Amino acid sequence: MTPLQLVFLLTAALTLVAAFRVVTTRNLVHAALWLVVTLFGVAVLFVLLNAPFLAVVQVVVYIGAIAVLFIFAIMLTRREMRDQGAQLNKGWWAAALVSLLTFGGLFWLTRSWDGFTRTAAPLPTGQDTLSALGKALVSPDAFVLPFEIASVLLLAALVGAVYVAYREK
Amino acid sequence: MLLQYIAIAILIFLSTALAGLVIVLGELFGPRVKTNVKSMPYESGMTPIGPGTRRMPVRFYLIAMLFILFDIEIIFLLPWAVVFRKLGVFGLVEMLIFILILLVGYLYAWKKGALEWE
Amino acid sequence: MTQADLYTLLPLIVLVIWACALLLVDLLIPRGRKGITAFLAALGLALTLGLTLAQVSAAGTAFQGMVVLDGFARFVNALLALTGLLGVGLAYGYVRRMGIERGEYYTLLLFSVAGMMLMAQAADLIVVFLALELLSIPLYILAAFARPKETSEEAGLKYFLLGAFATGFVVYGIALTFGATGTTSLSGIIAAASNGDAGLLLTIGAALILVGFGFKVAVVPFHMWTPDVYQGAPSAVTAFMAAGAKIAGFAALLRVFGLAFSSLSADLTAILWTLSALTMIVGNILAIAQTNIKRLLAYSSIAHAGYILMAFVPFGNAEVLPVSVAAGVFYLVAYTLTNFGAWAVVIALEKAEGRGLDLDDYAGLGRKYPALAAAMTVFMLSLTGVPPTLGLVGKFYLFRAVIAGGFYGLAVIGVLTSLISAYYYLRVVVIMYMREGEPERVSEPWLNLTWAASALAVVLISLVPAPLFAWASQAVFALF
Repeated sequence: MTPLQLVFLLTAALTLVAAFRVVTTRNLVHAALWLVVTLFGVAVLFVLLNAPFLAVVQVVVYIGAIAVLFIFAIMLTRREMRDQGAQLNKGWWAAALVSLLTFGGLFWLTRSWDGFTRTAAPLPTGQDTLSALGKALVSPDAFVLPFEIASVLLLAALVGAVYVAYREK
Repeated sequence: MLLQYIAIAILIFLSTALAGLVIVLGELFGPRVKTNVKSMPYESGMTPIGPGTRRMPVRFYLIAMLFILFDIEIIFLLPWAVVFRKLGVFGLVEMLIFILILLVGYLYAWKKGALEWE
Repeated sequence: MTQADLYTLLPLIVLVIWACALLLVDLLIPRGRKGITAFLAALGLALTLGLTLAQVSAAGTAFQGMVVLDGFARFVNALLALTGLLGVGLAYGYVRRMGIERGEYYTLLLFSVAGMMLMAQAADLIVVFLALELLSIPLYILAAFARPKETSEEAGLKYFLLGAFATGFVVYGIALTFGATGTTSLSGIIAAASNGDAGLLLTIGAALILVGFGFKVAVVPFHMWTPDVYQGAPSAVTAFMAAGAKIAGFAALLRVFGLAFSSLSADLTAILWTLSALTMIVGNILAIAQTNIKRLLAYSSIAHAGYILMAFVPFGNAEVLPVSVAAGVFYLVAYTLTNFGAWAVVIALEKAEGRGLDLDDYAGLGRKYPALAAAMTVFMLSLTGVPPTLGLVGKFYLFRAVIAGGFYGLAVIGVLTSLISAYYYLRVVVIMYMREGEPERVSEPWLNLTWAASALAVVLISLVPAPLFAWASQAVFALF
């Protein structure tokens, strides 16, 4: 086993355990904190995949903003931090069955795809993915249109957020 | 390639270890006398009223939402800034349009009073 | 990027700039005079409509194949701009009456229309995804626009959660498609699929995208959210949502399935057949039990999603598909006009606090307001598919195309479910004319114009449908 594989296995295990704790812990704040661990594990996985920019996005946006929003949301809705109700409802076995079938089905179907077994071509050395992305975002022969649409999308979301959460006097 | 991350890994390890160490040391050597009074939330010596946690005003939520949106904008700025000099005028104009559109949103939130804290 | 690129998206760009400017201008308009905002929004949509019609369709791609301008895009864009105009017209008096008159309503509506138009022009899965989000996010907010009214908040939240879930399916499908073909461009996918090196992964990707779109256009079994959202959202929003989201979803289905995934027809035709049949059956049968007009129209909208989906069942059959898609586009026009008309009548009778929405509230309408009742009768007949209405013509073209494709079973199901639907649509008519009651209606110029003009259009176009069908066919045939 190479060190890289070791790091991957450890990170993957941590991410899975943390993700499991997110849905099983009764304390909502703890759930949010476990989510931070999960998101961080995903960031490490991005690093292992040679996608450092996505790792930065994961840390800055998901941990830095979205997880914080979760914690805010918990603090402004709940007086009691502990959930006393039942964690499973009557339909849990049906949900589990559907999830298992979906996962098994997708796993079985994609097994035949050679992308999992084929060794990926090594990235060209010396290529800086970040500047390639920077160029692609604004250059006219790449993603300039999606880039600008993204800003319109953010604007619409901002108007919506202000409208829903802000009460005018 | 990945060796450049070793510094971050060491930092994470050390900070986690230090935090753990401090807790363990406190558990091991600290005197423990558990009484009901001691486990109460601290409120300047007064008898605490109500539970220790309280609901926060919804305004925090709005601030957090706005923060996320502008956070995403920053994320878009990062790769652009790295190659800014190579992109020329066109890249600058594209980013200006992007920022201008979001500036409209900022002006909107500002004029609505969503950024004010009363 | 050249001027040609910008020209391709001209109506859309103008609409987005207009919406941004309107957002700022609205800040200066005092509360209580938001009618000005509505007027400006309508002006922007009218400008967009004019630009769309004036665009010479050179049928070219732009932005490196990200978007495309062709006859279909122009036709659908024109229909979408009209949908936006009708949406503003319905909202004008309604939001004031319900005490939710805010400038954001119109800005969000413009953004949503922009997303829908982008969907009609998308030629790349990334643009499809962004368009889907741009049209959906304003709709989530609009559904919750009557906050803090509980039903409206519930509608917005439900729509948002399930919509986000559906978007997840679409993104996963896009990712798998990219994995299978190495590209997100629709023409690239066609090329990769015809090389035969895409395989199973592409099929799974396509199926997941279909699930996501199925949620958006409310196809059974992904329809659960529809009745609650349609009922809880302000009626003017529901009218806009029912028509706009269907048109955009249809455009996306055509671009993605009709064209890009056409090599997968062996795997997906049976699935589309089943979805279409299920949607028609379940939508129409569940509608029978409804006593609330908004829920009734919601189930009716589900059922019509099934009829529209029929257009894609000949998927992969290059001879029949153009005809059936043209019929589907025609059906969309018929549905849009009928839908807005019916919702205009609903709005005319709706009172504050959600009263005036039961079928019983329509009793006596025929005697007290003959014109309004006549218009509602026309819309109910059109939704059923009874002459002389546009609904009948639309169904005729659609069933004919499906039969030409050899799907007799589906056509039979279509006819039978239309017969079932006659029961609950005609019940509304019976209540209006046969029962005694004292309905109170609201009379506002734009509202009256909407139902009167829709009713006239539904009847008159059905008498001479050939030019419109020819236009739709011309728009669609150029794609294949």
